[in-house]
Amino acid sequence: MKIRILWAVSVLASALLSAAIDAVPARAADIIDEWANVKAPPAPQLKPVTVDPKTTALLMLDFLQQNCGKRPRCLAEMPAMKKLVDAAHAADVTVIYSAFGKVPATDIIKDVAPTAKDALIHADANKFRNPDLDKMLKDKGIKTVITVGTGPSGAVLFTASGAVLRGYNVIVPVDGIAGDDLYAEQFTAWNLVHATPQFAKLVTLTRSDMIKF
Amino acid sequence: MKRAALVFTIAMVAMSLLAVAPVYAANIIDEWASVKTPAPPALKAVTVDPKTTALLMLDFVKPSCNEQRGKRCVATLPAVKKLLDAARGKGMLVVYSGYGKLTQKDIVPEVAPEGSEPFVVSSLNKYIHTDLEKILKDKGIQTVITVGTFAHGAVLLTADTSAELGFKVIVPVDGISADAIYGEQYTVWHLANAPGFASKITLTTIDMMKF
Repeated sequence: MKIRILWAVSVLASALLSAAIDAVPARAADIIDEWANVKAPPAPQLKPVTVDPKTTALLMLDFLQQNCGKRPRCLAEMPAMKKLVDAAHAADVTVIYSAFGKVPATDIIKDVAPTAKDALIHADANKFRNPDLDKMLKDKGIKTVITVGTGPSGAVLFTASGAVLRGYNVIVPVDGIAGDDLYAEQFTAWNLVHATPQFAKLVTLTRSDMIKF
Repeated sequence: MKRAALVFTIAMVAMSLLAVAPVYAANIIDEWASVKTPAPPALKAVTVDPKTTALLMLDFVKPSCNEQRGKRCVATLPAVKKLLDAARGKGMLVVYSGYGKLTQKDIVPEVAPEGSEPFVVSSLNKYIHTDLEKILKDKGIQTVITVGTFAHGAVLLTADTSAELGFKVIVPVDGISADAIYGEQYTVWHLANAPGFASKITLTTIDMMKF
């Protein structure tokens, strides 16, 4: 009798175990399978920052009629960006503009147009692909760059990352990095302070009115 | 009369509050919770020309690819080993990378380098402070396959820069990983939508690649 009960229990147990194994989903093969389960991490904290005008450069990345001019979120930033660039000029901070292709300075959005003493460099997304940028910064003894511009998944992400990988401190005001895709903008803000410990150490996420010169 | 005075007072208080409130455009931190994840990109089958294609094995190093740190990287190793064997079987150029003070000896044994396979050391973007571009161009490489860990660092920046330098780029999604799955997801989306370079980048899986 005992043997029969033990047998019945073992059959039941193995059936339950088998059902349990079937119920456990196989490990998803790749990120495409897991896509719908991915949650955005919490928003990073913004921090006030005071910069040394002598060793800081403001990088105004691709604020052009061709892209910013067609992006309402970018155009909405122009009042804040005008304040930022005016404050930088008033504090005698180095200001460098960028454009892609051969786009001339005259195509920069008028509200934030460069003055005669500001530099303009040409490069696609990562502005450090143009060696003049690193040279210009090093020649002036720049240790910190403030990166603003459009779009977030191109010029801002790759130029700010390029600056970190070259050892610069990087300040990123989140009210100056809009593009036309919120998902890309969100990742850029997150990744610049989370990519590696070096990024966490060198990058400060802030807002333009939280920067003091 | 009293009512008019009250309305006037409320209006004045509201105006003074508005005057001291910070004025700034909405930014991504304010809008964080409203961000929607886009649809996943489509994966495509791809045929590789072994003579002009290099396999870039990015940061498969012991400190970042182990069960404690880099569990998702460990899970990619069987498929990556299969890819590595196929690439070597076709005589393809295989280039490894590490960071900091790591050497070839720090690559995880499952996918360790053989013979004179080059090893470059750089943080995230493997073209910075290395001769990777020269190694590839000297061998007539036109296409790179990028696999590795730190998807949202090494893979993202190296794949994007490869495209920017004129290489075609193949990214098998089952060969890349990040501890932060959010970073891995964005990397895949970005590479399919990279401004200016998306046409040079093919997202695939290791099983969908033919040599």
